[in-house]
Formats: sequence, structure tokens, C-alpha cells
Amino acid sequence: MLLAPMGAAVLRGQQIDTGTTVGMKAVKIAVPEFKPSTADAKISQLAKVFNDTLWNDLDFSGNLTLASRSFYPVGNFANPVDIRADDWTKTGVEASYITYGSVAIPTTGSMRGAFTADLHFTELKSNQSPLQPVRWSGGLDTDDAARFVAHSWANAILESLGFGKGVATTKIAYVADRAGAKEIYIMDYDGYGAFPLTAVRDLALTPAWSPDGEQIAFMGYRGSVTNIEVISRRGGNPVSFPSPAGLNTTPAWSPDGKRIAFASNRDRHTTDGTEIYVANSNGGNMTRLLPRTTTRGIDTSPVWNPATGREIAFVSDRSGSQQIYRINDDGTNLRRIIDDGGDAENPSWSPDGNFLAFAWKKAGRGFDIYLHDLATGRNSQLTQNAGDNEKPTWSPDGKHIAFQSDRTGSLQIFSMLADGSKPRQLTRSGVNKAPAWSGYIK
Amino acid sequence: MKRSKSWQSAALLLTVMAFVSFACKKTPAPPPPPPASNAPDTGITPIAPALPAPTVTLRADTSTITRGGTVTLSWESRNAATVDIQPGVGPVTPPASGSRQVTPASSVTYEITATGPGGRISDTLRITVNDPPPPPPARRGGDAVIPPPAITLTSQQLFDRDMQPIIFDYDKSDIRDDQKGKLQTAAGYMKSNPNVRITIEGNADERGSEEYNLALGDRRANAVKQYLVTQGIAENRLSSVSYGEERPICSAQTEDCFAQNRRAAFKVNP
Repeated sequence: MLLAPMGAAVLRGQQIDTGTTVGMKAVKIAVPEFKPSTADAKISQLAKVFNDTLWNDLDFSGNLTLASRSFYPVGNFANPVDIRADDWTKTGVEASYITYGSVAIPTTGSMRGAFTADLHFTELKSNQSPLQPVRWSGGLDTDDAARFVAHSWANAILESLGFGKGVATTKIAYVADRAGAKEIYIMDYDGYGAFPLTAVRDLALTPAWSPDGEQIAFMGYRGSVTNIEVISRRGGNPVSFPSPAGLNTTPAWSPDGKRIAFASNRDRHTTDGTEIYVANSNGGNMTRLLPRTTTRGIDTSPVWNPATGREIAFVSDRSGSQQIYRINDDGTNLRRIIDDGGDAENPSWSPDGNFLAFAWKKAGRGFDIYLHDLATGRNSQLTQNAGDNEKPTWSPDGKHIAFQSDRTGSLQIFSMLADGSKPRQLTRSGVNKAPAWSGYIK
Repeated sequence: MKRSKSWQSAALLLTVMAFVSFACKKTPAPPPPPPASNAPDTGITPIAPALPAPTVTLRADTSTITRGGTVTLSWESRNAATVDIQPGVGPVTPPASGSRQVTPASSVTYEITATGPGGRISDTLRITVNDPPPPPPARRGGDAVIPPPAITLTSQQLFDRDMQPIIFDYDKSDIRDDQKGKLQTAAGYMKSNPNVRITIEGNADERGSEEYNLALGDRRANAVKQYLVTQGIAENRLSSVSYGEERPICSAQTEDCFAQNRRAAFKVNP
């Protein structure tokens, strides 16, 4: 049995129009609660964190159907002897797989004082285990540690079933407004573990991940100087591009991590607007993508084709309204992609290179997220009737899209499956926007 | 079934124990090994993922103090068991976040180090300590201290009167005819105050994308700058910056409010 990943490639069919579960019939899995096997004061709380996280990771993967807990047998399911296959395959539950086990904070041994989980994963009919049972430690006795073990196990389950590398340990960088200053924050892909990365105490905008998930480029304000800055995702001090002049914004890394495209009017030859530049990732060897004579208006928001590394899509108002164009990275073969009125902005190239997600505002309506199929030219609407929805960004497996929306009254970050289903609010307090989804993080 | 080996190879052995190894008494009350029928069919041995590396950020409520003053250092970290600030502070708790007041006697670079099972990371922060200002010169006799004349305030009032924000049409950066009077007044002010240097701050309303609006605000600031240059103001007295839609002065969703935000505002350079 080979289950093809439900990536963007599957969206090519008619499924995209149905608005229902994409692709083939999902695999059904039972996920009974992991119960504590030690009596530490913290373990009940961490058990809840672990159970919620594992459930949500598997649920939002889009590849699995989770059997409802209402029909599970009563009991403690920590060890193989506790599992009777008939209880889990009977009508009502009808699971094909089960993951179960227990959690603890050991008081002795090499994992003492840390959150640990004993983890099992079994196919019920054959009683075979796609993954060998393991005990994993989160290193500390914190919520983050419990979440980390759950995320890692969810990834392992999905990968063992042939659904590709899971994204449960990936991160989302974004802009958070706290007390007037806007800083770059990083959170887990599910909205937990938010961490302030920058301390510019002014404006830090337009974050973009290096493909290896180690660095973030962003637009930083230092007084009236704006520049592209690069900071480690672990913290520390950012490094700025040399000799800033004019506006410098919207950095984007090439898929090999060696170059950064960005928008700037550093030549100030015109009052007409920014242009696309390409530089080495340290800001050296800066060149303009298009010769001066061919530019008109504002060019901004470049993104690279992750599959080829040879093409850039960007936004330009050279036609009189904001539209999305694509061009080779040597400045040749400029073409308009979206050609159906309105304002088209925020292009985000799918990891397989086949789709552009973008924000489209048609006359008299708000922004919504759309998918543009580059092979057929077809556009599919992913959000509707829920405020302004902008800044789509792809998960590295191409199955999810995060975006910003004001549907709750303030700007917050959401994610959804790449067919528009399973929308999920990730941030709730303050103003949070401009999400950028990391690649796979080591 | 298709499986990739990449996540296994990327992982560390440090914290894993397959149940098989529990048989050797190291761990208390080990769960029993799985029955033979449950053994993996493919020989895959999942390895514990590498523990997440700690992250840390150190910040302060101010970067410059006068000697004798205090500065509040605050930290946030993830995946750290201990956090230490040097010089002179030492271990701080809780590791996840907190703050501490310090009174450095001279300029200093604080280094914060977060250490956890996944590694160690540092961040630094420079605090500049200035000498206190010299005491005011002694005055003859017992006269009451005369407050300094409010020159700054008056200058600012004049500036605010003559340097009023320039308003733009939606998605446009052309100078409107009805805004040219304000620009003439601004040019006059700049000519009468030849030492004043200014920054022109371009802004946009919230419609359109954040990224496009940054470029639009920049275009507006530059349009105002070019206009003042044509009125004879030296270009090196005019800086510009765009705040896009990030600094609205009005937040209602009305055309009147949007119009107030579509502005190029003037600020005196310090």
C-alpha cells in the first residue's frame, strides 16, 4: 500500500472546487489519552499539553481522520497488553491504527526531571508496528518540552505512513505589535511558544526565513534608516546589509540560501517607486534585477521559485494597479501572471513550484487568499466572506498555508490546509501579522 | 510503505532508549518489552529527535543612562534550564522570562547565556553610562533661579504651524493642487530657518498590502521632497522615510480617516 502525500500536486484535480477533504480517503487512527505513570505535581498538566498537542498535530495534518474518543473502550492504554484490536476496529471507532502509551517525569536515570513519553504506534489489523516503541525525553519539565515530544512523535507517525516529512516541529516568524513597537517573533507552527526575536524598539517588518531554517531576514528601522537585517533564529544581534540608502524592504531568500532578493529605491533616480534587487545573503554584490529603462512604478514583494531557484515572482503597479509578474533571475522573460482585474499582491510560491498563493482584492470586496495554478492558469479561491485575508505563506510540505486575517476584529494569524479547509486561529492577543513559515528546522 | 531516513539521521541518540534497552536495570519500573508479534516489520528504529536548542533575547528599557541611574534588563528564553547574565548579575530565574534592575558604574556590554539540554546560546546588549551634567553655574546673590526661556517649545509651535502634513489621494503620490499652499509655506519656513534639517515621513492608509504601502509611503515622501527641492531647498536638508500603513493617526474605517493617514508629515531632525 502506498499512500501518496496529499501535497499541492493533488490539488490539481477537481478536489479543489469541492471544498471538502482533499485527495484520497484519509487513514483513521485512534489516539487514546496518554496517562501519567508517575505522580509528580507537574505531570498532569504536562500530560494534558502532550495529549492536546499530539491530537491537534495529527488532526491538522490533513492526512488522518481521528477516531472520536466518545466510542473508545474505558481503561488505561499504556502497554501492548492493554490493547485489544477488536475494541478499536469495531463499529463506531473503526480505526486502522492506534497510537498510545504513557507520560512521566522520571526521578532517576538519565531522563530524570524531564518530561518523557513511552510511545507506541500499531496497525490494528496486522498487529504490526510501523514504528518501534520508544521512550522520548523533552529535556526539561516544561510545556514546551511536552509539546516538542508530541510534535516529534506526530511527525514520526506521518512519515512512517508515507505522508512525507511532518511539519509539526516547523516554526512561523511574524510581526507582533507590542506597546507600539513592532518586532519579529517566532512561534511553533501551531501558535504556541511565541518568542520575541528582535529588539529594534521601533519597527521590524517583513520577516523571511533562510531555507535551512537558521536565519531570518527582515526590514529593520534604525531612526529614519531602513535596511535589510539578518538575525539567527536563536536570538543574538542582527547583521545589516552595508550602506543602506532609501527604502529597503521585503527580503526573500533564494532556495540555495546564497542570495536575497528585496525591494529598494536605493538609487533614488526617480520618485516613482522601489525596484527589485538581488544581493548575496550578506548584502554584497547588489544588482538591480531589471534595467532602469524598463521600470515604471512600484516593484516589491519578490519571491523565488523554490523548485528551480531561477525565477522570481513580484508585485508591480506598472500596469496601473498592483499585479503579480514573474521573471527569470537574470532579468529576462518578464510576464504578468494574474490578469483578471482587481489588486493581486503577496505572492508565495509553493514548495513544489507549481502554485502561487496570493492575496486578491476584486472590485468592491476585501482581500482573499487564492491559489494560482501556474500550469493551467486557473485561480481557486481559498478564503471567503471573512474580512481581509492577506500574506499567505506555505508550510514546507506544501500541505498548509498560514495567512493574516482581520476576521476577528484585529489582525491575527491563521493557518489552513492548502485547499482552504480546517482554518485554525494561531494568535489571539495584540496585533500579529506577516507570517512566514520556516523550512524544516534541524 | 515509503519511508525517508532523513529524520532519523538528523536525530541524536542522547535521550532515546528503545524499550529493549530497558531490560538492563538502568531505568526504574521499565515497561515490558513489546511482544514479538509487535516487533517492527522493517527494521526501522526510531531515534529520539535532537532536543531543541535554546533561544534567548536580552533587552533594556533604555540603552543610555546617567551615572547612578538604573536600567531594567529583561529576558525571554525558550528551551533553557538556566539563564545567566554577566557581568555582575549571575543566574536569573525563572529562565523563561523576567527582569532585573542594574546600576552599572560605567558603560558595559551585558551578555546573557541560556543553557539547556539542547545546547547554549548568548545575546549581548550594550548600555552606555554618561557622566552627569555639570552643576549649573553659581549665581550672584540670592536671586531666584530663572527658568530657561521656552525656546524649544516656541520653535516647535512655529514648526507645527508652518510644516503641516501633506495629504494625498488614494493610491496616489502626486501633489494635489490644494496641498501646494502648505508646501509653499513649508518652503518659506525652511528658507527662514536655514539650519533646520527635516525628515519627511510618508504614510499610507490601511487599504492595499502592507508591502505595497511601504513603497507608496516612500513615493509620497519623495514627491514632497522633490517639490521642496524645486522650491530651492537644499536636498541635503531633507531626509525621508516611509512608515507605510504602520503609523496611522486615525483608526476608523472611514474615508475621512483614511485621508488623514494618507499623509507626508514633517519632523525636525535632532
